[in-house]
Amino acid sequence: MISQIGSLALSISGGLILSTFFFLFYYALKKNKIFLDVSERGLIAVCFCVILATLCLLNELLISNFNLQYVSQYTSYETPLFFKVTALWAGQAGSLLFWTFIMSIYSLIYINVTLRKIHELKFWSYIMLSFIFGFFLLLSNFVANPFEPVSSDIIVQNGNGLNPLLQNVTMAIHPPTLYLGFIGTTILFVMALSALISRSLTFEWIQSIRRWSLIVWTFLSAGIILGGYWAYNELGWGGYWAWDPVENSSLMPWLILTAFIHSSMIQEKRGMLKSWNILLAASTFLLVILGTFITRSGIVSSVHSFTAENLGPLFLGFLTSLILFTVYWFFKRFDLLKSDKKIDSFSSREGGFLYNNLILLLMCFIVLWGTLFPIFSEAWNGEKIYVGASYFNQLNVPIGLVLLFLMGIGPLLSWRTTSKSKLLSNFKIPMAVSFFSGILYSIFFGPIQLYPLVTCMGIAFTGTSISNEFRKSYNKSKKKDGSILSTFGSMMLNNRHKNGGYIVHIGITLLFVGFIGRAFEVEKEFNLSPGEEIYFANYIFKLNSIKSEARDNHYAFISDMDVIDQSNNLLTSLYPEKRIYFYWNPDPEKRQPHSELDIYSTMRKDIYSIFSAYDAEKNQGYFKIMINPLVNWVWIGGIVMVIGSLFAFWPSKRRDYGII
Amino acid sequence: MNKIYTSMILVFALIVIWTIYLTSVKKDDSLTVRYYTIEELASKEFSISSVKVGGLIKPNSISINDKDQLEVSFYVYQGNDSLKVYYYGIRPDLFKDDAEVVVAGSFNDNLIVATELQTKCASRYEGDLKNIEKI
Repeated sequence: MISQIGSLALSISGGLILSTFFFLFYYALKKNKIFLDVSERGLIAVCFCVILATLCLLNELLISNFNLQYVSQYTSYETPLFFKVTALWAGQAGSLLFWTFIMSIYSLIYINVTLRKIHELKFWSYIMLSFIFGFFLLLSNFVANPFEPVSSDIIVQNGNGLNPLLQNVTMAIHPPTLYLGFIGTTILFVMALSALISRSLTFEWIQSIRRWSLIVWTFLSAGIILGGYWAYNELGWGGYWAWDPVENSSLMPWLILTAFIHSSMIQEKRGMLKSWNILLAASTFLLVILGTFITRSGIVSSVHSFTAENLGPLFLGFLTSLILFTVYWFFKRFDLLKSDKKIDSFSSREGGFLYNNLILLLMCFIVLWGTLFPIFSEAWNGEKIYVGASYFNQLNVPIGLVLLFLMGIGPLLSWRTTSKSKLLSNFKIPMAVSFFSGILYSIFFGPIQLYPLVTCMGIAFTGTSISNEFRKSYNKSKKKDGSILSTFGSMMLNNRHKNGGYIVHIGITLLFVGFIGRAFEVEKEFNLSPGEEIYFANYIFKLNSIKSEARDNHYAFISDMDVIDQSNNLLTSLYPEKRIYFYWNPDPEKRQPHSELDIYSTMRKDIYSIFSAYDAEKNQGYFKIMINPLVNWVWIGGIVMVIGSLFAFWPSKRRDYGII
Repeated sequence: MNKIYTSMILVFALIVIWTIYLTSVKKDDSLTVRYYTIEELASKEFSISSVKVGGLIKPNSISINDKDQLEVSFYVYQGNDSLKVYYYGIRPDLFKDDAEVVVAGSFNDNLIVATELQTKCASRYEGDLKNIEKI
């Protein structure tokens, strides 16, 4: 019953989109405002229908209605309740509905808050939203319908269950967070183009789209970091980023959105770079759709598979029409986008933002080129050629280092132009600290590797420069009788945008601390029987025992391994597990092994252990140990980044906070 | 055209050209690897220093060294063609008969010595329903 309601809600929303289009067309002909209002209501109704359909699917997942193909594919009676909820976005059909669900929520906010203030954008916003909704509803209704029943000649006794790799709290939060980021770019696209087409690139508009972009950026950043955290803690290859096409697909919009956040500041402050900003805002969404196309078409081989039904051609068609639409209006409104002001000097704040844009764009190009290279090369001469992680590292690491220094240089530059004497006095201290830390680094860490050394100097430079900024604004807000805490408080709250931005920059600097660790990773694979030990990377690894245990939904072999340091003290005990899911299945083919890691984590280094195989005959375990320095700084940097951007866009009491 | 814009476009263009040169002309083994189909390599007697191949693991072809369980050889197949693969190291959890794998390494007279072995993860769960009863 509930599933019929859901299915019906989906079809109705499809019908509503068609009628919305009809009313919009009528409005364009007659210019009667009533048709615009009706189409607004139509869109709102679509949003509610989609939300209803999603709730219905959620209900079916929770009550294990195995009459639905989707429910029986991604859950089973044994799936814990929490993961029945997450199954909503575990598969193709569900994740598409979930996508439309989030888009509905964003659209409701956009229609009811933003468009209430900026009326001029209504008509074209509705047209674009209807088109985008139309596409996703087409998919959900006709191509990947989550309410599709199982074929009528079978009864499903129990579902397949959720992949154990996805039965993990991070994996439960990561996709929705990333989706909130991805889908938020829809609003940026709609907002940018509707303003362009209706010739209303007002100050109010730029403020509002900046607000939106910060919200989207926060989710996107958090989603990417969580993805890395999940990969590191669950997948067992010891890293958090592999330049996989799917990871790249999430990085590209992030890079362009970051570029937009910076260059739109020039427009807000000085009314320049309008056309550039429109292009950046629109491109974030185009890159998200491109990424979805890459993920869902299986065109590039990736460990993330999503190829049950091939949605590639449909997404390609959708992407092409969006690009043509963008390009057409961009050239049609080119007159609007010219600015009479020019950037005066290389050493100005505007210049700094432009360098930032240049670098982020270059990184995006490198990632895009590397990701699509197999397609390009195959089209060129029939040879499918993949580029490896070394390609991305070789090109992006030096460019990323320039970005690191630039984060420190930016605040030292003034708007319009910076005088030579000011430049010199501003650069003095950060430069000195940077050189000093470079020398310290070389003394302590002996044989010099270029990248870690430069990164270390960059971190010192940028760290000093940003702290100096905080010190300056602290001195400014100091009052005679104010305590340190109240001065600090008023300084932080005085200019949230700026301070939030600096906090984000500190977060990114901390990320770079974590990246240094990559240069010093070591690993070893070995086998041990209980009682035996092995020496590796200044530690002794001693295997005490391997126990086995039957648990709720799997069978586990649990190893107990002591880690003893150089001075013969017990540092920690590690308990990596080898689990067998579906172990009760008589057919060994249908059982699924899974290695549950154990990580000893400190600020200096992680000891990462994997129990890879167990030989029962010889009572011997096969292990892989990795020493990964400084990884925790990546997560800390990520958290600081998110806090910083929350701080920047959180509505303040003084201002009118409905600006989004 | 403003001086500052011109110089930026120049830098951008230079790095773009450098990127394209690295991948398309130089084709360094450490940067790029060509993807071959099994048909292209099966029963061929030549050697290539760096290849990437995808296929399914031939049922009953996995042979693990008794003395050292990290050492394994198996066949990957696609259609009627198959190739022998040798690999030393920890294997992914989903490594088993008929699993979809991607291996990368060197090719020498019908044998791939793999340095990388990956299995596709979620696909198993996208498959047919398992616990069913026909009416």
